[in-house]
Amino acid sequence: MPDDLAEVYRTTYRALVRFLYRRVWDAERAEDLAQEAFARALVHKPEKARGWLFVVAANMARDDARRAARERRHLTLLKAEPQETDSGADDALHAEGERLRVRAALEQLTPRDREALLLWDSGLSYEEIAAQTGLARGAVGTTLARARRRLVEAFEAGGKGEHVARG
Amino acid sequence: MSHVDDGTLHAYLDGELTAVEAQGVEAHVAECPACRGRLQEERALIARADELLGLAAPPDRGASPPFPLSALRRGGQGVRLLSALRRGGQGVRLPLAWAATVLLALRVGMYLGGAPPARHAQPAAESAGDLTAHPAATLPAVRETLSVKRPAASPAQRPRQAQRPAAPAAQAAPEGAERRQANAVGEVAHAMEAGEDSLEASRAREERTAAQPPMSSALYRADGGYTVTGPALTLDSARALLGADPQVVPGLPVRAIRTARRMGYSVLVVVEQALDSSTTITVINGRPSTLQLDAVVVSSAARPDSTGAAGRALVVRGRAAPPTDSLPPAARKADAAWYTRGAFADRSSAELFVEVRGPLSADSLAALKRRLQPLRP
Repeated sequence: MPDDLAEVYRTTYRALVRFLYRRVWDAERAEDLAQEAFARALVHKPEKARGWLFVVAANMARDDARRAARERRHLTLLKAEPQETDSGADDALHAEGERLRVRAALEQLTPRDREALLLWDSGLSYEEIAAQTGLARGAVGTTLARARRRLVEAFEAGGKGEHVARG
Repeated sequence: MSHVDDGTLHAYLDGELTAVEAQGVEAHVAECPACRGRLQEERALIARADELLGLAAPPDRGASPPFPLSALRRGGQGVRLLSALRRGGQGVRLPLAWAATVLLALRVGMYLGGAPPARHAQPAAESAGDLTAHPAATLPAVRETLSVKRPAASPAQRPRQAQRPAAPAAQAAPEGAERRQANAVGEVAHAMEAGEDSLEASRAREERTAAQPPMSSALYRADGGYTVTGPALTLDSARALLGADPQVVPGLPVRAIRTARRMGYSVLVVVEQALDSSTTITVINGRPSTLQLDAVVVSSAARPDSTGAAGRALVVRGRAAPPTDSLPPAARKADAAWYTRGAFADRSSAELFVEVRGPLSADSLAALKRRLQPLRP
């Protein structure tokens, strides 16, 4: 119900934006999609609003990615995004460079690992993650353990490569 | 007991084991150096992963935008809001700038006197019914709202308070009329509560303000006014309500701490302090709520005549609690965990809104505000 939705909005909006951002990698777009997800929730009044929102958001992000891929294919091909993007010595670019590295590392996870990790980071409980990903409740911890390890490894590996390239 | 597997360790560290399971892990770890070591490793891994994810957070860490009520309507609501604020030379700080503006307008109103009627109750309640018909999601309108830099955060919206869209309708009334206005507002809220779905009622409000731009701006109560709702609080209660120490001007005797209600705030604690024998200032500590309906209403309420002095905003974000993402990763995760699991803990993760009022010049108030400190026992 809308009252609950207001509560959900309060607790979840930022998390949803973060979740979306790591799908679409565009802060403004992520905010738009999050707003749209809530707008849809206002209409649909889902029972379990939080989980529902993340499902909708994930779908929207997917659609968005497809659409973006059609419109600007080169921008969505993450793999093609060169490391040079962050090679600017500028400090201002440093954060962006880090972001790109994390993004690249995230892309190396399996879709399921990535989703579980992003959902956890968005504040969903194991139970909610299980419901959304189809994982068994008991498998969420294992999935997260793997996802975290791979994320860190991929990030560190990317970092080394970068240093060599810069060297 | 056999060694604890990684998944269980992570579930344990994530606080996702049942009490019994967690005890099992703890018992084992207490006896097993290997697992103790792994526990530390996994803890570090989680912290590192959180840190990395934090790096990949959206760049803008502003507060949440208003609840997307306006997303339900197609139209230039957001655009109007934006341009109205720009006319005020402020352009960027939605409800906060507005609150200041409105405070100023209140002063003007005080001197002019007069008590405009609160006449919104009926229409708002009446038109609340037809709103579900509106199709969802107009991103353009939302986008406009979003592209404005957002003011202090969004926390703690109580369901009930969704029904206070009526308050800003009373903006700009002279202070003398404030109480009456507040009462009227209360009635509206009750009327809405009685039958209407609150969000739809809010939409009705939005609908009405949008539909009637010629409405006199004097009808919009200008102080971002609050209504004292209860007896004096103890400091402990105030702290519990706010989830933080209330901010006060140090060195001034505290006469009373009260709770109050105001549009856009889920918690409002008003500290009255004696500046001298005849002057009382109030320090308003608020938890902004997510449903910043004032922003919605403001969209048509903000007029050049009232936005001109928005620059005099005396409104700051408190530093009671940093945004979650600026915390160390471990703290951030802990915070995030609470964030989703306890509304109470959640409050402390949001920013506090602080404002000083009193019969003083803007400069003096600003100076007082710079001196604010958390009130500790």
